[in-house]
Amino acid sequence: MTGVPVGRPSALGAALRRWGIRPRLRTRELTLLLLAALALTVGWISLASFRAGSITTGDPTLLAGYLGMLLAIHAAFVLTGRRTDQVLLPVTGLLGGLSLLLMSRLPQDLASQDLGFAALELAPLQLFWLAIALAMMAVLAIVVRNDNWLREYKYTWAAVGVGLLLLVFFLGDETNGARLSLRIGPIAGQPSELLKVILVVFLAGYLAENRTLLARTSTRVGPISLPPIPYLMPMLAMWGLALAVVIVQRDLGAALLFFSVFLTLLYVATRRFAYVVLGLALFLVGAAVLYLLFSHVRTRVDIWLDPYVDPLGTGYQVIRALYALGRGGILGTGLGAGLPAVGDTPAIPAIHTDFVYAALAEELGMLGGLAILGLYGVIAERGLRIAVQAADDFRALLAVGLTLVVVVQAALIVGGNLKLVPLTGITLPFVSYGGSSLLANAIVVGLLLALSDRGVEPPPAPTTGRRFRRIRGEG
Amino acid sequence: MDAFTLTIWLVRIAFVLCLYLFFFVLLRALWRDLRTTVASTGRSLGRLVVVASPEGMPVAGSSIPLDAIMSLGRDVNNSITVDDAFVSAEHALLTFRGRAWYLEDRGSTNGSFVNGQRIEGVVPLGYGDELQLGQVRLRLERDRS
Repeated sequence: MTGVPVGRPSALGAALRRWGIRPRLRTRELTLLLLAALALTVGWISLASFRAGSITTGDPTLLAGYLGMLLAIHAAFVLTGRRTDQVLLPVTGLLGGLSLLLMSRLPQDLASQDLGFAALELAPLQLFWLAIALAMMAVLAIVVRNDNWLREYKYTWAAVGVGLLLLVFFLGDETNGARLSLRIGPIAGQPSELLKVILVVFLAGYLAENRTLLARTSTRVGPISLPPIPYLMPMLAMWGLALAVVIVQRDLGAALLFFSVFLTLLYVATRRFAYVVLGLALFLVGAAVLYLLFSHVRTRVDIWLDPYVDPLGTGYQVIRALYALGRGGILGTGLGAGLPAVGDTPAIPAIHTDFVYAALAEELGMLGGLAILGLYGVIAERGLRIAVQAADDFRALLAVGLTLVVVVQAALIVGGNLKLVPLTGITLPFVSYGGSSLLANAIVVGLLLALSDRGVEPPPAPTTGRRFRRIRGEG
Repeated sequence: MDAFTLTIWLVRIAFVLCLYLFFFVLLRALWRDLRTTVASTGRSLGRLVVVASPEGMPVAGSSIPLDAIMSLGRDVNNSITVDDAFVSAEHALLTFRGRAWYLEDRGSTNGSFVNGQRIEGVVPLGYGDELQLGQVRLRLERDRS
């Protein structure tokens, strides 16, 4: 799992070490990266050849730039010699590469932005965001050796999160009926993507500190026993937050993601199944009330139940996605041969953000779609493994939460694409177009990588909570 | 079906095959990790082998099984009593946190050493590292099983 330290004790070695460079080979990461690069190159050739009508590599600048970036990050990991996980980079790299392939294939005018130095369209723009996101991930994975800045300031982080929410509420722009994006100068971002990372940091800190109290039972309501009432308050607050996100921001996806991640983390921290039951009951009550009161919630659920009621209006998007999946079949139509666009208008609205999975599943078929789902499964496995091996509760809960944020989000949107659950407008991590989404998910993977290092600073010595110390006369 | 259609079909299939090749190598790596984890759980945390002990307590060559928290020092209330003239009463603390051993000096007069270097604060240990308190040298070893 860990690489072998290389370099003989020499003058060069000593000089390198003085600069903090301790090379350590990462053979597994390199092998996987090379295989991912091979797959992406073959995909690129397939796309370019289909378009040109003869076997050609087309213009490989974008792909070459992306692969070069992945190798540069690998080199940086090798040179700094930290013993971090070797699987996460190739997996996220392959997902990002698939995203680049798809964005090169879609009509280029779906997104465009003038960045000051250059006006970019869809594919180059996605490469630009990927570059920033991967750099962020690498910096976090290399630099973060100490988690006190997350552990000690959990309430500060929570305040930052609430502040972001308020900022969006008062200053945000509306797109597709949801008040999501915040515009600073020329760049528009979606703070709810960052909010999910902040939420996990806060929950991990809070639950790590109070898990023993939360696991106690003292209140009994009928057959289920509950912890002391004051400690239930955060749960109600979370529920309220999720409702507020739905009502104020009209963002069903984020609300669903926040609440499911919260419930799972609570269960992981306390092992009390009563919480899950209670949480699901709260969820059902909240969902029923929202369904009755708010039209945007009702529309989503009605489309899910039967999109054919209004096939050319509200149901159009979902129906087109189902047709795309059907056209793809088992082997797919091949890159470039699908029907994501009729003329210059995309066949499925929001194909580059919410419906990337449908687009990929059409062109790569069921086999390709399953492989993509499998990659998220691998991220889940690695994240939970990092949690199991973590040195203390905070790190374990943080790792679980970060993993869940990525995997649950992927499950929600893929389920929405397949009409398995009501469609919620969130992105497919690492694959959808969009800077905020890529950046937030890269931060998640960067933190996971940093947590996976077994050579980092030890956590503070285990202590009992402040309350217990006071009881024992030590405070 | 002309030659070009056939070629492009082959390239297409090759792309999906490449994805699965990546996936296969990935799963093999995960499987290997899982096997090593399963093999290493249930094993004890390790032991200390006494390499040198001039004053005979603990006896040189003996091996001491370890619990998660082991205190070392001259006082008899320590988990491991190290009776050596250069060892303080409460000398050092050896703790297993999650998955690695850490050594901490408890303000001893003559200090604790790991692989010949005096330690400050809490330092992580690897199996095979040599600790020195006073004249006593101990080696942290994985249990053979």
